[in-house]
Amino acid sequence: MLELQTLSRHFGGVRAVDGLDLSVAQGQIFGLIGPNGSGKSTTVNVITGLFAPTSGKILFRGEDLAAVPTHRRLRAGIARTFQNIRLFGQLSVWQNLWVAQNSAEDQERQGFFARWLGGQGGVRAEIAQLLEFSGLAHKQDELAANLAFGEQRRLELARAMAAKPKLLLLDEPAAGMNSEEIAQLRERILKLRERGVTILLVEHVMELVMGVTDRIAVLNFGQKIAEGTPAEIQAHPAVRKAYLGGDAA
Amino acid sequence: MLDFFQSVSDGVLFGATYALIGIGFTLVFGVMHKLNMAYAAASVGGAYAGLLVLKVMAAAPPALVFLGAFAAGGVLGWLVYLTCFHFIPLSSPLATLMSTVGMLLLIDEVIVHVTEGMPQNYPAMFDDVMLRAGDFTMRGDLLLVFGVAVLCMVALMLLLYRTRLGLATRAVSQQPVAARLCGIRLEQVNATTFIITGLLGGIAGALIGASVGTLSPLLTTPLTVKGLIVTVIGGLGSVPGAIVAGLLVGGFENVLQLYRGVTERDLYVMLLLFVFLTFRPDGIFAPKGGRD
Amino acid sequence: MDFYFGLVQIIGVHTLLGLSAYIVLLTGQVSLAQAGFFAVGAYAAGMLTVLAGWHLVPALGASAVCGAGVACAVGFPALRIKGLMLVIATLAFGEGVRLFFFNFDYQVARGDIKVGPLGGEGFRQIRFFPEHGWTTGEVMLFIWVFVVAAMALLWWFDRSRYGSVLRAVGEDELAAQSVGINLTAVKVSAMTVGGAIAGVGGGLYAHYTTHIEHASFNILLATFAIAYQIVGGLRNVFGTVLAVIFVQGFLIEGLRFLGDWRNLLFGALIVLAMNLRPSGFLGARRRA
Repeated sequence: MLELQTLSRHFGGVRAVDGLDLSVAQGQIFGLIGPNGSGKSTTVNVITGLFAPTSGKILFRGEDLAAVPTHRRLRAGIARTFQNIRLFGQLSVWQNLWVAQNSAEDQERQGFFARWLGGQGGVRAEIAQLLEFSGLAHKQDELAANLAFGEQRRLELARAMAAKPKLLLLDEPAAGMNSEEIAQLRERILKLRERGVTILLVEHVMELVMGVTDRIAVLNFGQKIAEGTPAEIQAHPAVRKAYLGGDAA
Repeated sequence: MLDFFQSVSDGVLFGATYALIGIGFTLVFGVMHKLNMAYAAASVGGAYAGLLVLKVMAAAPPALVFLGAFAAGGVLGWLVYLTCFHFIPLSSPLATLMSTVGMLLLIDEVIVHVTEGMPQNYPAMFDDVMLRAGDFTMRGDLLLVFGVAVLCMVALMLLLYRTRLGLATRAVSQQPVAARLCGIRLEQVNATTFIITGLLGGIAGALIGASVGTLSPLLTTPLTVKGLIVTVIGGLGSVPGAIVAGLLVGGFENVLQLYRGVTERDLYVMLLLFVFLTFRPDGIFAPKGGRD
Repeated sequence: MDFYFGLVQIIGVHTLLGLSAYIVLLTGQVSLAQAGFFAVGAYAAGMLTVLAGWHLVPALGASAVCGAGVACAVGFPALRIKGLMLVIATLAFGEGVRLFFFNFDYQVARGDIKVGPLGGEGFRQIRFFPEHGWTTGEVMLFIWVFVVAAMALLWWFDRSRYGSVLRAVGEDELAAQSVGINLTAVKVSAMTVGGAIAGVGGGLYAHYTTHIEHASFNILLATFAIAYQIVGGLRNVFGTVLAVIFVQGFLIEGLRFLGDWRNLLFGALIVLAMNLRPSGFLGARRRA
């Protein structure tokens, strides 16, 4: 599904991502972890097109993404959530989902006129589904800015799903959540996988990462220092060193 | 060929006034990330106020009139700060913009009312002096304009880079929150910036009046637009940029006046702006990124 | 009675100007160029009815097309300029348009008089309405047909996905891109629609005043366009109409008794208003 080949992104002298090789198979839930500043968010930003790679390639379903601008990548099937939530605060929950319906599938199904100038009727069922899934149906007309933090996170995820992605990049979705919320998030991610979405999960919160991923890659200083199943990673000495420094039991 | 050099020379000398106006816009933008649309109007207003000196003392030397304009400019600058930037929260950028436009209109109207729409003569210095080199001349009054403007710019640079106030100003322009946490009083720095740019503006207005010979309220709009063009070409926030751009625009404009006449001249200055916006939108000296 | 019809005419034309700024401002672009598109529409319609003998309705169609065309041309470079720089650039553009018409001569002989734009003197004798025997009341209604049409169009946009997309772009361009919105298409299309509406407004303006000149399309007019949004809030088109009625109706007419001092007060009032209510009067929906 997604392949990064010696991907690098430098900012002046800082090598945020340095020669990264990564391969995510279809239907996987792939974790990307690493200490602060290891290049996780930059990797997501490069995949979605916010930054161009300094060198290396990104292949999505076999296609080189180099020439594809950001908004087209969404259409190609890549959606993301933001670490610090970027909802459209002045739009309602319903509208936040509505503006995100830009998938290739939607474009083929509805004509240009209906998609842009049609009213809410045509997509009512679909958006209701998304609202159901994230438990926000009762707040559909509320301004996104007025939602509670947890609700905003759920909306952020739902909005990414509105685009019917094949690959979903989650950027630290569990930040600031308590155990109960993390458990609910885990359930939701697993349900997404059931629907056929491949997921790349960038995360700090180990409770989530270890409990939901099939495979994990560990970054440090922009480079991959380990890759394997959650169990393998937990036992890996280099990972320990990166997180805890030196020899820690 | 000589005509070309002559007009470039005259234009560049006059362009020093554009540079001063450009500095005024760019400094406020650099420190507060806001546009003070009333700046050129306040400069012209300061110049008019300088004429009040002649009301009091009919035979006052031009230098005193300039001094009056200088002081009045500072006062007007502070007034604009008070009415447009002191009370209005900085998080409403549209509000401050509109407010400065309101002040622009207000100052313009006050000038028209007080002078009853009649252009006023402005005293000049050294207007009878000419430096010659063969057929090439440099008007004494233009040289004075240039000289005074240069003096002001030097004084400003010294202020910005050699005094504590200048240091505080530069700190605020880069990180206002951190500056506050270091004990710098934001309101004081902002107000002072306005007063200083106001002083510069008053002088600029007086210099323009002196070299053209008359002041008219019709001056305000083209001066505002040209000042903004200078600011953009030089790079928003860059004082050296405004200086270079001011001289550039002055020379360019005068050469175009030579070949295409006064009425078309200003259109070409706009074109210059669009050329820059297309190829170098950050300006000649884009200031290093600080705030996002 | 004619006086009130005249006032409603002004309110109508200014509403079109305001609406043209409304759609552009939704996308987060602060444009002082709307008065420039307005001017283009005015001269275009005037020249077509006076010099080419067109009927007003197709001439207004041409105004819309011209306004849209110029706006589209402005819209593309505007993409690369953000925030305050865009304000400056659009201001310079508006002034450039004004200067262009200040220099623009195109006169044709009609009998023994010459008609057409004449540089600084402007364009006189735009007499379509008088020549066809329209009363002031009829002109007023005619203008408002277009105003209502423009309002209906923007109301429809607002209720459609396009409207929400416009506002999403205005709020957060990065997020909008990331959910698949094509910023170029959205911003340029908004600018183009705004240009078309302004063009029609200008065409109508030219015909009810019968005499236009460069000085009418100045910074003050450009400021009005934006001011209406601040006063009216960007919630819906009715805010814009109410703002125009308030500004043109109450303020300008109400202050008429002040005579010459009225212009003075106007600037002072803007300053006062911004200090008292910086977020506007019929403001955008507030955060709880």
